[in-house]
Amino acid sequence: MNGLIQILDGNTFVVSDSRGDIEASLTDPTGLFSFDSRFLSTWILTVDGQRLNPLSVDDLQYFESRFFLVPGTGTVYVDAKLSVIRRRAVGDGFHEELTILNHDDKPVQLTVRVDAASDFADLFEVKDALKKKGRYSAEVRKGRLLLSYQRGSYGRQTAISASAPAKLDKKGLTFSVHIEPQNEWTTDLDVVTAAGVGGTYTRPKYERGERRAQPNMERSLEHWLEEAPRVECDWDPLKLTYRRSLVDLAALRFAPPVAGGRSLPAAGLPWFMTMFGRDSIFTSLQALPFTPELAATTIQALGDWQGSRVDDFRDEDPGRILHEMRYGEMTAFEERPHSPYYGAADATPLYVVLLDEYERWTGDRRLVRAFEREARAALAWIDDYADLMDNGYLWYQRRNEETGLENQCWKDSWDSISYRDGRIPGFPRATCELQGYAYDAKMRGARLARLVWKDAAFADELERQAADLKRRFNRDFWVEDGEYFALALDNEGKQVDSLASNNGHLLWSGIVDKSKAKRVVEHLIGPRLFSGWGVRTLAEGEGRYNPIGYHVGTVWPFDCSFIAWGLRRYGFKDEAATIAAGILDAAEFFEGRLPEAFGGYERSVTKYPVQYPTACSPQAWSTGAPLLLLRTMLGLEPVGDHLVVDPALASNIGHLELLDIPGRWGRVDAFGRGRVHVETERPRRRRARARA
Amino acid sequence: MTDATTAFFEQLGARGHEPLLEKATGTLRIELSNGKANARWFVTIRKGDVTVSHANRKADCVARMDEALFDRIVTGKENAMAAILRGLVGVEGKPQLLVLFQRLFPGPPGSGKHS
Repeated sequence: MNGLIQILDGNTFVVSDSRGDIEASLTDPTGLFSFDSRFLSTWILTVDGQRLNPLSVDDLQYFESRFFLVPGTGTVYVDAKLSVIRRRAVGDGFHEELTILNHDDKPVQLTVRVDAASDFADLFEVKDALKKKGRYSAEVRKGRLLLSYQRGSYGRQTAISASAPAKLDKKGLTFSVHIEPQNEWTTDLDVVTAAGVGGTYTRPKYERGERRAQPNMERSLEHWLEEAPRVECDWDPLKLTYRRSLVDLAALRFAPPVAGGRSLPAAGLPWFMTMFGRDSIFTSLQALPFTPELAATTIQALGDWQGSRVDDFRDEDPGRILHEMRYGEMTAFEERPHSPYYGAADATPLYVVLLDEYERWTGDRRLVRAFEREARAALAWIDDYADLMDNGYLWYQRRNEETGLENQCWKDSWDSISYRDGRIPGFPRATCELQGYAYDAKMRGARLARLVWKDAAFADELERQAADLKRRFNRDFWVEDGEYFALALDNEGKQVDSLASNNGHLLWSGIVDKSKAKRVVEHLIGPRLFSGWGVRTLAEGEGRYNPIGYHVGTVWPFDCSFIAWGLRRYGFKDEAATIAAGILDAAEFFEGRLPEAFGGYERSVTKYPVQYPTACSPQAWSTGAPLLLLRTMLGLEPVGDHLVVDPALASNIGHLELLDIPGRWGRVDAFGRGRVHVETERPRRRRARARA
Repeated sequence: MTDATTAFFEQLGARGHEPLLEKATGTLRIELSNGKANARWFVTIRKGDVTVSHANRKADCVARMDEALFDRIVTGKENAMAAILRGLVGVEGKPQLLVLFQRLFPGPPGSGKHS
C-alpha cells in the first residue's frame, strides 16, 4: 500500500495514488468505496492530455487531503509554469476542488480532462477478483454524468458534476480553460454515491472552503482527545505511542445505523470498517480504562444483532454474537453470508466477559440490566449450541461449507491449528482459549446474576458449571510431556499438542490451575515462544512454525496485550512487564502505530521488528494493545468502587503517570516507576534506566 | 392477504408479549402490496408488549415491500437483511426497531437438520 493515500468518513473512503488519481484494476485496490462497494474505479486528471506529477501531498485531516501537482513527465524536466492543486474531502461521496495556477507572464489555453468510470465491485470481489453479473450504464443528464449498475432490484449509482462549464460525455468531463498571466482557474467536482438508481440527488457532505470536520458521531476528535486520560512519562516514545493510539482509535470509530450516532471500534482501516464481533469486543476491552463508551456501544449493537434462529448459511444460532456485517452486492445476493455472518466461536462468551468488565469499570448497572436477556442467551448458547460433541466443551464446525469460515477462533487462517508434527486436525475442533473464555463468561455471568439480576440460583449453577469445566479442562488439555495446555482437542477428543500463544489467553481467563501457572508462564517468556519483542503465535520447533506465517509464528501485539493481562491475573508482574516492554519497544519502530503482526524472528538477530505485509492499517486491536499494556504495567484493577494501582514496569520507562482515569470512582490518577530489569533492552535503553 | 403473513401477525398479537422485543418501544408499520392493493399492519411495541392492528397510527419505522416477499420472510425462505440490501424493502425511520423486529423471523426451513 506504499504511496497510496487514504481518506475516510465512516465506511466511505477514497484510496488514490499520490497524484490523487484512481486507476483501479482487479489487483489494485484503489477507488471510492462506500458501504462495501466501489463507486469509482477510474478518476484520472490530465492537462493537455498529460498526466500530472506529484510534488507533495498533505493529509490534512482524516477526511481530506490536498495534492500539489505539476504537468510533465517529471523524470527530467518539470514545467513549473503551471501548478495544479486538488483538495478532496470525503463524505457521502467526495468533493474535490481543482485549481490550476498560471505562473507565466503569458495567458494559457488548456484542455483539462477528468476520466471517470466505475466497476461497482463488491469489496469481496476486489479481494477475490470475481466477475460481475449485472448491467452497467453511463449517461449524461441535466449536467451530471451518471454511472450506474443494475442487477435486478439492486442498483448503485455515482453522479458526477462540476461547477465550472464542462463538456460531459459518458467517460468523463472536459474543460476548455483559459487562464490569464499570474492568474488561476478553479472548479468544484462533486461525486455523489447512491444506493438505487435514478433517485434524488444529494450533495457531498463537504462544500467549497469547508475545513471543519463533520464526524458521524457525537464526539469530535478534539473532544475525544480531551476526554481521554493523559500520559506523563520519562520515556518519550510511550507518550508518542499513546497519542497515536488515541488518534487512530478515533479514526476507527464506526457508527452503525442501529447505534443512534454512538460509535464502536471497527476492525481496521480501510477494508474492515464495519462491525466485527471479536475485534470490536477485544478492542473495547483494551480501551475500557480510557474510553468506556466504546464498550457500551459494542454491547448494544452486538446485542441488537444477536442471533435468534438457526440459519446454516449464516452459521447463526439463537444467542450467538455476530462475526462480521457487510452491505455489498455479494452479501445482498447471498453469495456471501455477511448479512450478518455469525461464524465465530469466541465472540459469544467474550460478549459476557465484556459486559462484566464494563460494569466493573463504570458501575453502569442500567446497561447490564438492559442486556440481561442477551447475556443469558449468550451463556445458553455455549451449552445448547456450541457443545457439538456433547462433552462439555465449546467446539466449532461451520455449517456453511462453501463460504463460511473454517477456523472460528481469532487464529482464523486455514493452517493455524496443527499438531506438533504439522498435521491439521479434522472438525469439529475445540481450541483451548475458547474453553477459557467459556469459563470466564460463566464466572462473570455468575457475578452479574448475583449482583445485578438478583438471581442467586442461576449464579450458583454457573459457578458449578465453571468449576466443573475448569477441573476437566486442566485434566484433558494438559500436555504432560511438555507441561503446557494443548492448542485444541480434535474430533476424536485427542490433544492437538502444539505449544502456542493461546496459553496466555488461558491465564487471562482464569481457567488455569494455580499449580500449573508457573510452567505455563515459563513457556510464555521462554525461548520457544518469546522472541524478545513479544510472544510468537506458535512456538519455535513446532512442525508448522514459520516466523512469517500468519498465525504460526508471527507476533501479534493484540495477542501479547491479553497475555500480559493474563500474567498479571496470576501475579506474574515482572513477566507481564517484560512482554509490555518488548511490544512498546517495537511500537517505536512503527512510529507508535503497531501493525497487525510482525515476524517472529529473534530480537537479537534482526534488531528491529519485521512487519508482516498487510493491507489494513491501523488495525483496531493493535491500536488498542498499548492501551491495555498501560493498564497491565500500572496494575490497574477495579475493586468495588475503587481503582487499585499496583505498578510493575520496565526500568527504562522511568516515571509513568496516567491521569484522569474515568470510572465508577469519577476520575483518578495512577503513578508508577520503572523497576523491572528487562533483558532485551538495547544500550540506549540502559542509559534511560540509569537516568530513572 | 396470504395465509402465512396473516398467521404471523395473528400469532404475534395473540402472544401479547415477546421477550425478543423487550428492548423495543415504538410502532412499526409494515406495508405490503400485491400490485393492486396495499395492506398495512401496525405493530406497536412497549418493552416487549405487542399489539397488532390495521388501525392507522403514527409509526416510528416503516417497511414497504411486496406481500409475496414478506410471505417468504415469515416462512424463513428469504432473509430480511439480504432483501433490504437488494433494494426490495423500502425503510424509513428508526432502523433499530426493524433490527429488533427481524429477530422474530424464522431461519430457513431445513437449517440445523444435520447438526
